[in-house]
Amino acid sequence: QEVTLRLHQFLPAQANVPAKILDPWADKIEAESEGRIKIERYPAMQLGGTPPQLMDQVIDGVADIVWTLPGYTPGRFPRTEVFELPFTSLDSGATSRAYWTLGEETMFDEDFKDIKVLGLWVHGPGLIHSKNPIVSVSDLNGVKLRAPTRVTNGMFERLGATPIGMPVPAVPEGLSKGVIDATVIPWEVTGALKVPELVTNHLEFGLPALYVATFVLAMNKDRYEALPDDLKKVIDNNSGLEFSGNAGAQMQADDAPERAKALELGNTVTTLTEEQVAEWREAAAPTSDAWVEEMTGAGMDGAALRARALELIDQFAEN
Amino acid sequence: MQRLVELLARAMAILGGLILTALVVLTCVSVLGRGLNTLGHSGFLEGLAPGLAAALLGTGVGPVTGDFELVETGVAFAIFSFLPACQYYGAHATVDVFTSFLSPRANRVIIAFWEVVLAAVIVLITWRLFEGMQDKMRYGETSFLLQYPVWWGYAASLFAAVIASLVAIYCAAARWIEIVTGKRLMPAGEGAVH
Amino acid sequence: MTNLELGYLSFPVLLLMIFLRAPIGLAMLLCGIGGLWMVIGTPNMFMSKLKSETYTTFSSYSLTIIPMFLLMGQFATLSGMSSSLFKAAESWLGHRRGGVAMAAVGACAGFGAICGSSLATAATMSRVALPELRRYGYSGGFSTATLAAGGTLGILIPPSVILVIYAILTEQNIAKLFLAAFVPGVLAAVGYMITISIYVRLNPDSAGTREPMPYGERIRALLDVWPVLLVFMLVVGGIYLGWFTPTEGAAVGAAGTGIAALLSGNLNWQIFKESIIATATSTAMIFFIVLGAGLYNSFLALSQVPQELSNWVVSQGFSPWTVLAMVLVFYLAFGCLMDSLSMILLTIPIFFPVISVLDFGMSAEHMAIWFGILVLIVVEVGLITPPVGMNLFIINSMDRQTPMVETYKAVMWFVTSDILRVILLVLFPAITLFLID
Ligand code: NA
Ligand code: NA
Repeated sequence: QEVTLRLHQFLPAQANVPAKILDPWADKIEAESEGRIKIERYPAMQLGGTPPQLMDQVIDGVADIVWTLPGYTPGRFPRTEVFELPFTSLDSGATSRAYWTLGEETMFDEDFKDIKVLGLWVHGPGLIHSKNPIVSVSDLNGVKLRAPTRVTNGMFERLGATPIGMPVPAVPEGLSKGVIDATVIPWEVTGALKVPELVTNHLEFGLPALYVATFVLAMNKDRYEALPDDLKKVIDNNSGLEFSGNAGAQMQADDAPERAKALELGNTVTTLTEEQVAEWREAAAPTSDAWVEEMTGAGMDGAALRARALELIDQFAEN
Repeated sequence: MQRLVELLARAMAILGGLILTALVVLTCVSVLGRGLNTLGHSGFLEGLAPGLAAALLGTGVGPVTGDFELVETGVAFAIFSFLPACQYYGAHATVDVFTSFLSPRANRVIIAFWEVVLAAVIVLITWRLFEGMQDKMRYGETSFLLQYPVWWGYAASLFAAVIASLVAIYCAAARWIEIVTGKRLMPAGEGAVH
Repeated sequence: MTNLELGYLSFPVLLLMIFLRAPIGLAMLLCGIGGLWMVIGTPNMFMSKLKSETYTTFSSYSLTIIPMFLLMGQFATLSGMSSSLFKAAESWLGHRRGGVAMAAVGACAGFGAICGSSLATAATMSRVALPELRRYGYSGGFSTATLAAGGTLGILIPPSVILVIYAILTEQNIAKLFLAAFVPGVLAAVGYMITISIYVRLNPDSAGTREPMPYGERIRALLDVWPVLLVFMLVVGGIYLGWFTPTEGAAVGAAGTGIAALLSGNLNWQIFKESIIATATSTAMIFFIVLGAGLYNSFLALSQVPQELSNWVVSQGFSPWTVLAMVLVFYLAFGCLMDSLSMILLTIPIFFPVISVLDFGMSAEHMAIWFGILVLIVVEVGLITPPVGMNLFIINSMDRQTPMVETYKAVMWFVTSDILRVILLVLFPAITLFLID
């Protein structure tokens, strides 16, 4: 082959995202390039470093392609946070398409100017997994909770929880040792982290989702630019809006089997009614307002970003 | 000169050790806070003395916010601060069974050679750390909960790494001067305890 | 040259550097960046990696446990816990034939329960027990060999720095590994005591005896070890019962022994500084090796050596037990030359994928824990095998009159006991695993 690309990411090869999104994507590119592109896959941080370093690795060319969370490096990708605000995301496929579209409109020349973005998506609706039952906002009072990003940490702090910062792999041990009483993650990864064995309560909010986290599949800019045009085209054909939407939809589809397993274990899965959710929405609203204010203070039009994000999500959700 | 370098290496190690001690205390306080918080939430105390449970929680007792990230930032500085002493006391793990057949002078030359390579690598690490710090400044990356700039940690570590570079360069030079002049400038290498 | 060939070539190059007395961490780091340079064709990759890799390696939350455990060992030494342990063991065992040596082993086991390092255990207990052994007429080589072997209990009995590293490399639960190490650790102590009693029967001149102590005194001596028991229960018990994470446990242990040292009156500013310097040099040495191993392993991953090696083993159709035996013999052989930590960091990323695809008739987690304990024991044997055994060096440096050869001769008895124990644990995995179920 002409080009060998190293794809580096943090999950083991058999996890949902590598197995169902990244591998098929890479296989397809290899096939469509008729073997001229080879994508070497390095799961579980095999090329060294920690997950927050993935973004630097792709910028510096340590890896050619990485899959990571912008939220792992707080402060660096402020605009992506708009999709993480409470009660924003609808169907993950739609939100992912909106994320890609807003990305094209506002982020590629700003937040993502150092990388070639191949895909932008969000996971299925995030929910609260807790040892003690949580139904109303007041049940969160003083609960030690691990959240994935700056925005979600801020939200749970406002809701009365005590946010605990720890990397995702530390969640099982944290739960079993009482370092945390609760965590928020989508269903899709609960099995891998053994969460249903460590807690007995799961609180669902329906749609819009309480929160989602954003992902990015990124390529080294010089590496992309150096490709011959026909190979660039192979990459482009497999990236962008459609790919992002499908990736988001796939992650949401991977939620159901894990949810079923938690029920099988005898855990309690509570889905709040619309009236019950209203209280949460009200309590979480200041988080979005504060975010808008913060962005505006940093010289971005926070209100416009938020309005556009919501508009795009609605638009894609209707189709 | 030797006295000064020794003082520098020891001072850095002790500074790092004080930070490490502070992290020990911070972690214990966090564990204690968490324990009291859990007690306040426990059905046991709520049933026994609801007022006490509420009062306990009312004090806002809980784990130290951001203890994970503070430990991570602090321990990076501590370990960079430990490097000068490791250099000065020649505490790196080595295998000397094969070279022990050679003459003492040949051994001294070999040690001095590696000392130069080691110094070069530590200088390289320091230079790259400086570049890394500039990246973090440019990107405005912050910590997770307390949201202090990540480059602060890099800057503190860079300070220690610069000292480590200076000590490493001195040690490399001193080993060669020892060989040439026969004067003793460095403590005899002592195997590290691990 | 293909990447794979580069990967295989790096082994002899690395060993050559190490045998030419390069600091081990430095040798791995050089092979790592040299390999990355050759695979990529430019230095860009390792230069970029170094921008953040040193910092993130040094700022790892889970590795923070290492300096904290080392500090805990330092404070435990100062607080007089080592001598009260030895006194207690000696008062009960000292009058038997070989009893003072047995007491030294028992005290090492006790100290191992609050110290995560073998060399620290060996050094500390030698300071206390060596003069006593010589006073009661124990021969030089037998005394030093006993303490060198006893020192390995520092790592075999939890807490243990090497197990922490293994747990992080293989993503296993530290608490479960600690628990699994407990019975094999106690077996080690018992094995050493049996070795001592056989040795003194075959070499009656090598040990003297003393008068039995009155029971009142024995009980008093036993009661004096309560701080050790308290710290062990707090740290290992607390980690296992889920009161805190291993790093938090290490912090609690360091604080606890620190307070004990303060109360004992042995801790002043001058001594505190020396404890810090000792912790500092060991910590820096360990983290420099971790850094070098990280870079070297990135290169190996890029060269595909671990995958190819594991494919090869599978394609050869070796029985799992043959592969396991080969790996353990490899560790024993290399343990004669290298220190345990470097070996673990260097080899686990290569061997673990190979072993984990083999079927030993147990779950993946059980296999990982059982293999970890076996590896822990064989690399620890390396600390007392001639010619390079760090424990032997440490203790010989504290007892200059005893020629190294005498120590070498006597220590082979303890090595034999270790090898028999490894065979026992290989044949009966349940000895290691029953506690974690
Ligand atoms: Na131990
Ligand atoms: Na050895």
